[in-house]
Amino acid sequence: MVETKKNEFRKRDFFYLVPLWLISLMAPDPYLYHKKGFKKKDFFYLGVLVLAPLIWSDSHFHHLMVLAGIYATLALGLSLFMGYAGQISLGHAAFFGIGAYTTAILTTRYAIPTFLAFWASALSAAVIASLIGRSILKLKGYFLALATLGFGEIFLVIVRESTDFTGGVIGIFGIPWFSVMGFSFDTYLKQYYLTWGVLTGLFIFSKNLVRSKVGRSLLAVAASEDAASSVGINVPWIKLESFVLGAAFSGLAGSLFACVMSTANPEAFSLGFTVLIVMMVILGGMGNLYGPIAGAILLTWVMDILSKYQEYSLPIYGVILILLLVFFPDGIGTRLNVRLIYLIGYWAKKKKRDVGKL
Amino acid sequence: MDSWLYYFPQLLSSGITIGAIYALVGLGFVTISRASQIINFAQGEFVMLGGVITFFLLNGVKLPYPFAALIAILIVILIGFMMHVLVIYPLRKASILILMMATLGASIFLSSTNGLIFGTLPKTLPPFSGEHPFRIGEIPILPQNLWVLLSTFILLIFLYLLSHRTLLGKAMEASSTDPLGADLLGISRNLMVFLAFGVSAGVGAIAGILITPLFFTNYSSGTLLGLKGFIAAVLGGWGKNSGAILGGFVLGIVESLSLVFIPSGYKDAVAFVILLLILSFRPKGILGSPYMDSRRW
Repeated sequence: MVETKKNEFRKRDFFYLVPLWLISLMAPDPYLYHKKGFKKKDFFYLGVLVLAPLIWSDSHFHHLMVLAGIYATLALGLSLFMGYAGQISLGHAAFFGIGAYTTAILTTRYAIPTFLAFWASALSAAVIASLIGRSILKLKGYFLALATLGFGEIFLVIVRESTDFTGGVIGIFGIPWFSVMGFSFDTYLKQYYLTWGVLTGLFIFSKNLVRSKVGRSLLAVAASEDAASSVGINVPWIKLESFVLGAAFSGLAGSLFACVMSTANPEAFSLGFTVLIVMMVILGGMGNLYGPIAGAILLTWVMDILSKYQEYSLPIYGVILILLLVFFPDGIGTRLNVRLIYLIGYWAKKKKRDVGKL
Repeated sequence: MDSWLYYFPQLLSSGITIGAIYALVGLGFVTISRASQIINFAQGEFVMLGGVITFFLLNGVKLPYPFAALIAILIVILIGFMMHVLVIYPLRKASILILMMATLGASIFLSSTNGLIFGTLPKTLPPFSGEHPFRIGEIPILPQNLWVLLSTFILLIFLYLLSHRTLLGKAMEASSTDPLGADLLGISRNLMVFLAFGVSAGVGAIAGILITPLFFTNYSSGTLLGLKGFIAAVLGGWGKNSGAILGGFVLGIVESLSLVFIPSGYKDAVAFVILLLILSFRPKGILGSPYMDSRRW
């Protein structure tokens, strides 16, 4: 018998098997677009989210998950803009900062309740995004990335220099806890439920959005702008819409961040933070709403583990970024899923071959 | 308005010097973009590395100045080659977002490793010749400023000859403008990008050595310098050596003169405001760009 392709099954695939099995139990399948929006798995995730902090009641874990929830909100908004509409933004840290500073200034200077400041943050971020979006979104590729990055840097300089308005480099202290109708979210456990509750709401919103006409137009714009405009999609408007939506999500996340950390200072919104958020979206897989959340949890944990190594943390972080990008350029879940589908196909074919041999 | 006129020539001369540095950093970006459509956000780190490694060789190993500078340039070129082999080559088929993030990761790695090895204190080098400024009319000029201008000019001529008068330069340009055609002619595109990374790292290192006697070089000062160099290249016309030079000088002078009108803290924002303006009104830059004729950006 002639031996056909010898290297169909690579030895490397043995290493994939355990994570593959785990992921196949839990991961949503991004390829099944035709299925109904919400499935049993979503309720399973929701149950895990509600129960996890009660089972693992450790305040450090709670704090980490609060941060992960906030980052996930930000990454979810960015995923709509980058994963679905196919644009590049390196300036969403600035919208995060705008949200945080809006909340900080409104609550500490004007004693406005945090619940109102929360919505005002989203509004201010969205308004600024719509103002700059018109001219920026004409650009593509590197130039779009550079323009958004420039916007982020301008924001940082303004925050650092207008000392009497934003507190300069030192920032603003003493932002009150988030509170609704007198109920104050003052422990990490309560904040956990707050952030992940907000995230769940935004997730349901974006999941419905992606399945709506707007979501389909976003995918069309990402595939080809010319083709999209030829079937009657208003391309600049759709791009602006996703940009503004992403900014509004970032504003909400920033407001929560300010309330949870009770400070707002410019170092938190620098280029390094943008890199972190974009990495969350990339690692989760573009064009997938579960991805950014998983990426946010993963990278928050990585950062926490790295922070134990003090001055060595940044070099290790850089190496980890590059390695993750080299080995998983289209997201960890996507890459493993591709291998899973390949392996299933391989085994099926092998069975058939064995039958043919007999 | 008396002080305005008094400071004007000084600001102009310092603007020309910093503009030359931006031009050199921008040339590094353009060199890589002429060989492939990659933008290396770690270009600023090459500049920083050039200055810091020369400082180390001069004060730690006690080499003579020209020797230290030469070895530092060679080391940075080696780092540029390694960056291509370890980061860019494995990602040669990835989308530009992935490439951009990978070079940003490399930039984080280079700057923080540098801070770890050579310490986080700002470093400075002795000027090439003479510390005392001489006067042309009323304007005091440091000899180092003239060195910067002269080196920029020499490097520009060198890069011009490389890209317009040698087969290697033509091959580099071909692999950028028409990848398929270059493949058919037997040009190794990966080799061209590899060499371009070496050249741009070398140009960056020279810029770093020139700038360190004038301004303090810190382990974290590379990123902003790299971004401004990129802005200079975009401002003058993306993908043109002359564009990077012109954009660098325009950016340096405007940024320096802006000190007259706005508080000095806002100086860093000026470059980015110029960037947003040029990108919204004339994305192909002052001189026009060879890469933007056929496509709408």
